Amino acid sequence: MPESSYVSIINRTMKPESPSWSLLNQHAASCLRPGFAGRVLRAARQSAETIPSLFSQFAVGVATAALCFGALAVLAMHQTASAAVASQPGWQEIASASNADPGLNP
Amino acid sequence: MDQSESTELVALVGRAQKGEERALHDLIVAYQNRVAGFVYAITGRSDSVEDITQQVFIKMVRAIDGLQAPAQFESWLFRLARNTCIDHLRRQKLRRIFTPFGPEHEAVPEPEGAVGTEELDALRHALGQLRPQDRALLALVQEGRSHAEIAEILNSSVAAVKARLHRAREQLRQHYQPNHET
Repeated sequence: MPESSYVSIINRTMKPESPSWSLLNQHAASCLRPGFAGRVLRAARQSAETIPSLFSQFAVGVATAALCFGALAVLAMHQTASAAVASQPGWQEIASASNADPGLNP
Repeated sequence: MDQSESTELVALVGRAQKGEERALHDLIVAYQNRVAGFVYAITGRSDSVEDITQQVFIKMVRAIDGLQAPAQFESWLFRLARNTCIDHLRRQKLRRIFTPFGPEHEAVPEPEGAVGTEELDALRHALGQLRPQDRALLALVQEGRSHAEIAEILNSSVAAVKARLHRAREQLRQHYQPNHET
């Protein structure tokens, strides 16, 4: 859109503050250093190279989940085994007590 | 925008969607000043205008091939710009939770020479009193967007946009005093 029609839209839409809006736009435009478009395109290219693809992000997610699941499984197995070892003497005691009790062995 | 300009824009967007670097470059050049003005109206900081405007256009470059209706390019671009500004302000607010900012830091003046005139300063001051969403609304109107387009950009109804716009304009007028002291 040419700048003249842009200014006319501004004038039409908000009369009292129009000159200020126009100044605001001019000021904002002056904040962009020369060669802005070229810098944007370079930055977009660089970020496209550094951002991992969706597939690789998904693969990393799956690998992490599998690793966590594996670690949990190993931990659970280890805890079950150590609990069984710890309770073995107790069970043996109960078994020998029940064998020795004539009331329980008719 | 007249018919021929609109046709030209659609053709330019079409070429950009095919990845033509020249078309992307031309689109950025055509819209950089308008987007910068829009960003400045919402953020009120000269020192972040270039950074945020750059973010908007990087998002545009990455997502333009997914734009279904090239004729809606302007609405789409300003939606990107609005969302980028709101995200920026939200992140800034979040950062302040973890940084011991005092009221004196909130009033950090614009860099030397950043504020041009009394009128511009008054508008900046008045906009600063509004919610970012209302600033975005006013900036979209200044951009020449219709009520229907603004409703689409904000995911709202036309009636709601009109009501919000009326309130925002009233607030802006209340705070807009060209002779105020900062």
